[in-house]
Amino acid sequence: MNKLALIIEDDEDLANIFAEALRGIGFEVENALDGRIARDRLIDGETPFLILLDMHLPHISGKELLLKVMKKDARFAKSWIIITTADARLAEELRDQVDFAMIKPILFGQLRDLAARLRPKDEI
Amino acid sequence: MKKFIERFFSFSTSDPEDTRKRRLLGILLAGTAGIALLGALSFVYFAATVNPAEVYLLLWGSALTFAVVAIVYAMNYFGSGRAAAVLFLIFLYVIFLLSDTPDQIVGGRTLFAFTIPIFMASILLTPASSFVFAGISGAVIFYLAISLGVTPNIPGIAGFFLIAFVSWLSARSLEQALNELRSINLNLDRVVAERTEALAESLAREKIEAGRNQAILNSIADGVIVFDKKWNATMANPAIKSMLDIPLQLIINKNFRELVEHPRLAPNSRVLLGSMIEHGTQPIGFRVEWGEKTLSVSAAQIYNQRREDTGTVIVFRDFTREAEVERLKSTFVGIVSHELRTPLNAILGYAEMFKEAVYGPVNEKQVNMADRIMKNTQRLLALINDLLDQAQMEAGRLTINNQTTRPAELLETMHSLMDKPAADKDLKLTSEIEDDFPDTLVGDPARLQQILVNLVGNAVKFTHRGFVHVKLFRQDERWGIEVTDSGQGIPEFEIPHIFDTFRQVDDAATREHGGFGLGLSIVKQLVGLMNGEINVTSILGEGSVFLIRFPLIIPQESPKAWRGS
Repeated sequence: MNKLALIIEDDEDLANIFAEALRGIGFEVENALDGRIARDRLIDGETPFLILLDMHLPHISGKELLLKVMKKDARFAKSWIIITTADARLAEELRDQVDFAMIKPILFGQLRDLAARLRPKDEI
Repeated sequence: MKKFIERFFSFSTSDPEDTRKRRLLGILLAGTAGIALLGALSFVYFAATVNPAEVYLLLWGSALTFAVVAIVYAMNYFGSGRAAAVLFLIFLYVIFLLSDTPDQIVGGRTLFAFTIPIFMASILLTPASSFVFAGISGAVIFYLAISLGVTPNIPGIAGFFLIAFVSWLSARSLEQALNELRSINLNLDRVVAERTEALAESLAREKIEAGRNQAILNSIADGVIVFDKKWNATMANPAIKSMLDIPLQLIINKNFRELVEHPRLAPNSRVLLGSMIEHGTQPIGFRVEWGEKTLSVSAAQIYNQRREDTGTVIVFRDFTREAEVERLKSTFVGIVSHELRTPLNAILGYAEMFKEAVYGPVNEKQVNMADRIMKNTQRLLALINDLLDQAQMEAGRLTINNQTTRPAELLETMHSLMDKPAADKDLKLTSEIEDDFPDTLVGDPARLQQILVNLVGNAVKFTHRGFVHVKLFRQDERWGIEVTDSGQGIPEFEIPHIFDTFRQVDDAATREHGGFGLGLSIVKQLVGLMNGEINVTSILGEGSVFLIRFPLIIPQESPKAWRGS
């Protein structure tokens, strides 16, 4: 069964690039283009193996999604959480809360190589 | 009555010595008049009992004495005091001569009466005049003795001169003492006059100064409040009234704490001003929010001439517009950083996908082209980052976020970023950490990384063969980064300018190597923000050494508390 990746990113091009990088290594990919959609998807849908979370989102910020949704729900303890942002300060601030903090610009190969190494958390 | 007597004996002349003598003569005249009055009264008493002829003599004598006293007094009062004194003394001789029989005068009881004019002369005229009157007394006695046919009383006459001598001595020392006293008084008067004048002048000056200060205060646009030591406002200018939009009565003579409690002051501003009052510390130029306004506050202690703290003057400047511009600028910087980087990230991503043949096979030329798109995009991203850093530094918004930092990780990251560019130019990029170097230290890892990458990037850019070497070292209470290269070197006259914004050693270098020349300028500013210093030594054609030193702070907490991973 393919691993599920949820890409929460409001820029369609970036979402597309990230999706291609992850599909290339066998992920099944879902996109959420704003904070509200992402929240609903996180609450209702299947728990993703990997969540790629942009910080700068319409309606609900990535930080809020991280702290008020994912951190409050034990289901997401099994998910790999990677935040993406252009703001190095913010990345530094949230580094302890997540598995990886990637600072934009994020290279196609960089994301692909990182995601390829991820094993299910309960197997580690 | 007392006043009348005082007026009777007051003589105003320019010479105090003359005044004193006239006064003395006045008193003697009064005494003489008193004796004459006694004579007149005894006439009434004796009139019935004694021989009328002698009694009438007493009466006429008294009347004559009164007349002479009046004349001498008038002379003393209106004319020459000295002439009056001489006249009075001559009159005394006349009285003494008429008061007794010639034989008694020459050798008997009245002889000694003739000493009276001698010492009176010494005090009424000059001290030496006692000798003149001793001569006169002697001459009178001598003449009378000769006319009576008796031997003149030579010892008596010698006694006159002896008395004259004593009178001269005592009158002279009295005059000297009085003169000294007068000169002391005179000096004292002069000193008092001078002091009074100086005081009046300084008061006038202070008044002018205060007026001028008030005029300056009234005319400036900044709001000024002057506080005493207990933070009571003693002075405020009209600008503060319009700035705070409250009446001056709510400021002047009130304690600063009342103003700080004003509801229009934002709570965090209240804390700032409160701590200024509490601790007496005056950070330069902090800002407070007053209603809709942003005010910049600067405070200065007022010292008196003895360097004692006497209060504080606080200057408020309306900073609302500037604060708004700053807010816009920072919003702009934020938007630019996001809006510019996002599409560049997309370009980079698509180029990479193209290069990686995600959508099907590509030939070598296409891979090469994709590579060039990626390189140029990355260059553009680096430029944007530099410009944003520069803008943030200029806005004073770039802050240093100190935390526990692992120097070894800084070098690892530097290698991961710079090994490839160095290898592309066949350069040897090496690094070392000195043995006694601490595992962790306090610093801003992101900014230290930026400094390291900028310096190494710069060295790689300007070195065409040889090496770039990085060393982390410890030196007493400091630590440092040393970046040595075997590059083209920097001409000596250019060294002072290499940290200037938008500067590269020559235009040709800019064309060849690209970049705005912001890298080193940012490094220098970051080093400055971290209280460090940077030095450059270079030999043209042999290479350069960039040396940075920071204060060394070893973290207190255990290194494990660091974010790990």
